Formats: sequence, structure tokens, C-alpha cells
Amino acid sequence: MAAILPRNSTRQADALRYGNIARLTNRITGVVIVGFVTVHVLVQAMVHSGWFGEAVARSQFLLDLQQVPLVHAILFFSIAFHTLWGMKLFLGDLGYVYHYKTSLFVVGGIASLFALREALRYVGL
Amino acid sequence: MNGPELSTQDYDVVIAGSGAAGMRAAIAAHDAGARVVVLAKGPPRANHTRMSGGRYNAVSGLNPNDSTDAFYKDTLESGTWINNHALTRILADEAMDRAYDLEAYGLTWDRSEITKYSLSMTGGGSFVRTLGSADEGIGITEVMLHQLHVRGIEIKAFHMLVDAVQDADGRVTGALVFDLARGSWRFLTCRALVLATGGTSQLYETSSGPTVNTGDGIGIAMRTGAEVVDIEFMQFIPISFVYPPSIKGYTLTEPAHYGPRHYDPKADAAHLLNNKGERFVLKHDPVRREGSTRDVLARAIMLEILEGRGTPEGGVLMVPDPKVFESFLRERPIYVKRLLENYGEAQARLEAPIQVMPSALYTLGGVRIDNWCRTSVPGLYAGGEVAGGVHGANRLGGSSMPDIQVFGRRAGMAAAEDARQAPGATKAAFERARERAAALDGYLGRSDGVRPIEVKKQVQKLMWDDVGLVRSGPKLVEAIRIFRQLRSEVLPRLKVTSRTRVVNREWMEALELENMLDVGQAMATAALERKETRGAHYRTDFPEIDPNWAINLLVWREGSEMRVERRDVQTLDTPDKTNARVLAEAR
Amino acid sequence: MNAMLKTITVKAEVSRFNPETDEKAHFETFEVTGIENMRVLDVIRSIYEHQAPDLAYQFACRIGRCGTCAVKVNGVPVLACQETCKPEMRIEPLTPFPVLRDLVIDRTEVEERYANLALVPHRDHEHEGQPEAVAPDLAHEICRLDSCLACMVCVSACPAVEERAFDGPAFMLKLRQLAIHPADNMDRLSQAKEGGLVECFGCDLCTQLCPADLSPAQAIRDFRNDLLFGR
Repeated sequence: MAAILPRNSTRQADALRYGNIARLTNRITGVVIVGFVTVHVLVQAMVHSGWFGEAVARSQFLLDLQQVPLVHAILFFSIAFHTLWGMKLFLGDLGYVYHYKTSLFVVGGIASLFALREALRYVGL
Repeated sequence: MNGPELSTQDYDVVIAGSGAAGMRAAIAAHDAGARVVVLAKGPPRANHTRMSGGRYNAVSGLNPNDSTDAFYKDTLESGTWINNHALTRILADEAMDRAYDLEAYGLTWDRSEITKYSLSMTGGGSFVRTLGSADEGIGITEVMLHQLHVRGIEIKAFHMLVDAVQDADGRVTGALVFDLARGSWRFLTCRALVLATGGTSQLYETSSGPTVNTGDGIGIAMRTGAEVVDIEFMQFIPISFVYPPSIKGYTLTEPAHYGPRHYDPKADAAHLLNNKGERFVLKHDPVRREGSTRDVLARAIMLEILEGRGTPEGGVLMVPDPKVFESFLRERPIYVKRLLENYGEAQARLEAPIQVMPSALYTLGGVRIDNWCRTSVPGLYAGGEVAGGVHGANRLGGSSMPDIQVFGRRAGMAAAEDARQAPGATKAAFERARERAAALDGYLGRSDGVRPIEVKKQVQKLMWDDVGLVRSGPKLVEAIRIFRQLRSEVLPRLKVTSRTRVVNREWMEALELENMLDVGQAMATAALERKETRGAHYRTDFPEIDPNWAINLLVWREGSEMRVERRDVQTLDTPDKTNARVLAEAR
Repeated sequence: MNAMLKTITVKAEVSRFNPETDEKAHFETFEVTGIENMRVLDVIRSIYEHQAPDLAYQFACRIGRCGTCAVKVNGVPVLACQETCKPEMRIEPLTPFPVLRDLVIDRTEVEERYANLALVPHRDHEHEGQPEAVAPDLAHEICRLDSCLACMVCVSACPAVEERAFDGPAFMLKLRQLAIHPADNMDRLSQAKEGGLVECFGCDLCTQLCPADLSPAQAIRDFRNDLLFGR
């Protein structure tokens, strides 16, 4: 078996900075999740508060909004990525050794599958 | 008088140089109770030790065939017996203790079992004795730097030693230092000044060392009247990178490490082939072949290249043995990485021929010292590559690492000891420092003249062509003439383009140039005087070794002239006369 | 092999800043012609030698071992002597360090941080003047971590250093080197915690950019593992 050579690190500025991509994606998905939860809680609070709430509950716009595939895609991707990334960090603390590129592709890949499912649903599959 | 501001600080011991010799001197002096400061021309990690493969020759007891006598004899034989025998004996005797010191500092030597260090061979040695660690010179400098930090030893980065300032009686009582970061002058008064400024590799066009090694310490020592010894001997590492330009000249160590000879003195080293596929080294050393000493190998390779039997890129081919790759990777991963990044994967795996060429590596001679690193000038000490005499006419691979530990420590101990009784600086010294600073400030004022970098390149080419691996009388005479001319006509006309004082590289180069010219002239002078070939010194007009020349040459400055004198080799029986000349003159 | 390489011309925007005269940095553009695999350091040296004699830059070994030539190229911290040139380059001093002039930074605070960590083995007993008992693989691993150049590329790249109270990946790595040293009795985990160990995002940018092939993030994960399991 061929021994693993050290890296050729003469083109560092040419490569994608995977860590930045991962961190920003984690941050954005976190904001999306927090945003979604905030909106959800506020609307639910309104729905359960008297005459105003009944009007809100009967709003077609709000009902339709819950069925938009793009919103689902973004939301499901965000929850999947953010959760899996958090789990990856925790696995690392437990002693599991992984490569940063592999883990980004795996986590991003799985999260994308959820988004893909919504996209397929949108086109009728 | 009007002159630049000269801020002063007082110390017991000032050490110029932040490589292992300087750091070890600092540790020793500090532990002996002295107030110490270490001066580094740039960031402290920018030194020659850092670039070393970190191989460390010592008698550990793990090889039952080896002994300090054998190490002593190997070093003398490699040096053609013109070493200072006393210094060589000290090296052989104290190397192992200093290796344990490094382990105490945190350097975990490579080992095959928990207390059994891994040993390897070096070109020219008789027994397997060399220690090593995978972090090489990087590791050595790191563990030592943290030892300085933990002791609170002051390190002044970007502080260049410009001159050793002497009092009226000739004793060194201060250091004139240029703060390169601020562009201001400092006068550091002291009772002992230790030169640990490294070698002169940057005098050569193709070299292996760091850009700061412009021979400053040797030039400064010569200006105080101290003697240099064996300065004609410059070690060229036989194999170094040929391309790309950024790494050209960086040492690849020796063919011994690329073949089974790395472990077995009777086995083959990597073969060296010219463009005809011939193993040309066999002409020069049929017994040790490519496991020969550095001087023989470097000369053999250089001659092949000069005589047109090299590769188109200007090197020869080294054919390594891929069977040693796994151990090579484990012992020296940093080297494998460099081979990969500059040559390619096949070369990194030792599966394809590697292009190599000689390169200026190590200054064998230097400031003359006694057993405790005292020079012939009171108050001035030297240790490490800046000093001469330990290795004679050629150094064994792996012997520089113990040299800098052994003599760095001795320099620090002697400096601290002497500092207890030495008088401090007087006003006379301060005035001298101020005058010198004013003169050197003049570079900033000039609006036209010659850029230092132009002269530096000229010197580097001259040294490589005429005072390098292949020398001859007429070329040396011409080189000396050019040095004299540069010194008298061009040096006063140096200009520094930018008026800013802060981090002015041209100004630093101007200050370095004075040292380079003096050291270059000293090397050429001694090389011209020595009418034979010996060790690293090769003359086409005197190509044989001559037993009548089994002596040392001393060079020193008298005003603007260089004086050369023959001196008998210092054996173990000869009384140490290092201080005799200066003390006699002082009376 | 080498004879096949072409000559190319590259464009370099170099940050210029003189604290004596300037309020902030500005860029000067240069064109440099050279061999196609030349390094960023070769470009900088060429500019100094032929076009801008007052350019301030730092290097020493030029072969990736002293770590002092670190700069930012196109926003990425690299060793100038190791990084190959690009057709268009923006060369800036390494952030977030104070700039002495142009591309030269002041590393004083870096050394102070290192000094505060006391990165030497704190022994119960003196070294005995004979081989210290260390398992071969452990000795190798300690040496591996000890080959950190202290170049500060990882500290420059680390987003947590910018945003949070975090010393930086390089310091965590050196602490780990001492933590695994069998003769060291100092509580390196506490020092790591004080240095902001838990602030690490786990983004591994330090691992990607380290010129010495080390992974400060892994050293941090090892410490966090110790933190969780109380070692």
C-alpha cells in the first residue's frame, strides 16, 4: 500500500475555502430556522387570541403560504443541514476523526436531498 | 556633536543572533545570573538553525562500536587534522549531554523503543551515531525559544548588531544596534558581547541559508581587530534543489540519506550520474563512493557541471533507492513535502531521479576562539557557525547541531562569568558609537549613488565564480582587487532610495554590504595564500594536498589592510595562545 | 522538465502603508514577468529589486520553514514563499496584526501570548541525563505538533479569532503538544479553556490552510474530548 504523501500546499489561495462555506451555511440556516420558529410562534399566538385570531385563521394567504414548495425546500434544507452540522461537531468532540471536505459534502448532500424532494414535488413527481 | 539620537540600555551580556547558538548562550548566561538580551535581525525564528534537517551527531552509547574517541577522530579526519583539536575534543565529549538538554527542553528524539534512540549515518563518519527528530531544525528552535520565554529573557526582534564598540583599552563594552523596525539607533552597554550571528552563505549566488546570514558577526569581529581562522574554507553542500528559483540552492543534505547507507556504513548511498549516465564520483572516491564527505562530493559534482556533463537545467542526477522511502518519510516528512511541491510525486517517493547541484551552505572558518569561546578581543565572544576551528577544512554532516549547543552554552557561561568582573562602558565608548551611527546615517541623506542590491548581486556572483568551489590564483587576485575597489569607491556611494526610517530594507542591505565586502576579501585573501587543495578549498593551480600546509591561516584587519599569518595547528598539547596577540599589543 | 516552463506576466496589487505618513493603506499595482511557477515571494522580491525600492516585506528562509513571510493573497493567508503566483494578485499584510510598514507585521503580541503559556515541559523531576522514556509513536506525534511554524496563517484565517474571545488555533495546537508530553504536569486543558477553547466553530479553515500540514482544529477537538470526559 502506497504511503500517504504530505500535501502539496502551494495553491492555498486557489482552493475553495470549505470552512467558510460550511460556517456561513450553518449561520444562514440557523437564521432561517430561528426566523421560521419566530414567525410560527407569533402567528400561532395571534390565531389563538380572540376575534383577530379567527380572522387570521381563516386567511387563505396564510394557508397557501404553508404549501409553497420553495419555502419547504429552504426550510427542510436548513433544518437538516444545521442539525447534521451540529451533530458532526459533537461527533468530533467525541473523538470521531473526519476530513473537513468529506463532512461538508456529506452533510450538505443529505440536506440537499430534502430540498430535492420538495423540488420534485413541485414539478409533480 | 550633531548626530542621531542614541537610546541606551545596560546589560551584562548582549547576544547577537537568535539561532540555537545564540539561544543556548542566552540560557546559559541567564542561568548564571547575568542580565541578558538577544538581538535578532528580524523575527527571532528567521535563522539558519530553523532551516536545518536537525541531524545531531553524538555518542549515545547505543552503538557499542562507537566512542567519543571515534567521533573525535572522524571529525579530525574530515577536517584533515587542521581543526583546533581542543575544540573538536570538546565537541565529541559534550555533544550527548547537550542532546539530553534538548530533550529536557521538550524535544523528543526519534526512537525505535521507549528509551532507544533511532540512529543513522552521516557522509564520512565511521559509525552510526546520528540522532534526529521529525521536526528537524524547526523543533530545535521552537523548544529553545520557549525556554527563553519561560525564563523571561528579553529578545529584541528587528535589531541588527552593527558594531561591537570598544573602549579606549580595546575591550568591547557596548553594542551599536540598529532598530530596523523604527529606524533608530541604540547603544546597548554590556560587559560581554556574544557573536552568534551565523555564517556567510549569502555571499554566494547559490546558497542554502537564510537571507540574514551575510557574515555580519565576522565583519564586526574583524573591525575590532579580532582574528578569523580557516576563513578560506567554505562548505558547499553537494546536493541541493536546482529549480524552481525560489528553492534553488536549498540543501538536500547528502546522497548517504537517500540509500541504504543511511543505516549501514558499508551499503550504498544514492548514486550520482552525469548526463552520460556515469557514476562520476567513483573517479574521486572509489572507496566510500557516494557516501564520501561533502567536500569530495561537492567538488565532483561541480566539475561535472562545469565540464559540460550536467543536465540542461545545470545539475546532475541523484538516483535514490525507493526502498528507504518509508523510513525517509517517517524521519523527514518536511523534506518529502518539499520534494513533492518542487519536483513531483515520483521524486517525492524516491522513485525517480532527483536533480541536484552544489550550493554554499556552511562557513567552516570564522572568528578564532579558545575553549570557552573567547576571541582575541576582551569582552568579545563567538559561538556557532560564526566561530572557526571546530571542524577544520570540512565538516561532517550532523555536526553543526551539537556544535551550536556545546559552544553556545560555553559562550554564554564564559560571558556571564567574565561579566561579573568586567568594567562597564565609559563615555569614550558612547562617543565612538555616536560617531559611527552618524556616519552610517549618511546613507539616508544621499540622493544619488548605487543601490545596495546591485552591489550585493555583484558580490554574490563574484564569490560564486571566483571564491567558490573551484578557485585559482589569478581569479583570486582579481577578486581581491574588486573587493578593495568596491570598498573604497562604491561603498561610500551607496544610496538608500526611500527616506523613510521604518523597515528600510535598502538601509539594512547597505549595513550588511560593509560586512560582506570585508568577509569576502578575507576569504579571497586566505584562499590565495593557501597554495594547495585541502578539504573544501580547491585550487586548480594547486590541485593536490600538501602536508607543508597542515597549518591554519589567520586573517585580521589592520586599518584598511588585511593581514594573513600562518599558525601551527592547535593540538591537545599546545597551550592556548588566543588572547596573546591582543594582550601583547595592549601593553 | 524545467525547460518546458513558460514565462508569464502577472499583475500584483500590493498594499502600501507607512504609519509615519499615511492614515490608512492604499494599493499600488505592479506587473512582473517571470517563470510561470514562481512564488508570490519571487514576485514581491522582483518588485523591490526593479520597481519599488522602498517596499517593506519580510522573508528569511524562502523555503517554508521560518514562517515569517506570511501575507494575505487574494484574501487568503498563505506563506509568500510557498504560494504560487496568480495572474492577478492582491497582496496584503497578514490580518489582524499591527502593520509596521507595507507587508511587515509586528509579532510582539504573538510572542507575548506564547510566553504567557509557558510552553515547556513542567517536570516533577529534573531530566536525568539519559534517554527519557517516551513511546516511539508518541515521540513522533509530539515532534509533529512541534513542527508548527508559528506563522500565524491559521490565526489570520480563523473566523472565531475575529468574532470571539479566542486566542487562536496555533496556541491551542502548541498547548496540545505539551498536554500529550509525558513529562509535563501543567494543566494545559485549563490554559486552553482560558484561551477560548470552546469558541472554535469547527470549520477547519486552519486545517485547510496550515503550511505545515497540521490540524489545530483536531488539537482543539482532542482538548474538547478531554473536557467532556474529564481527563
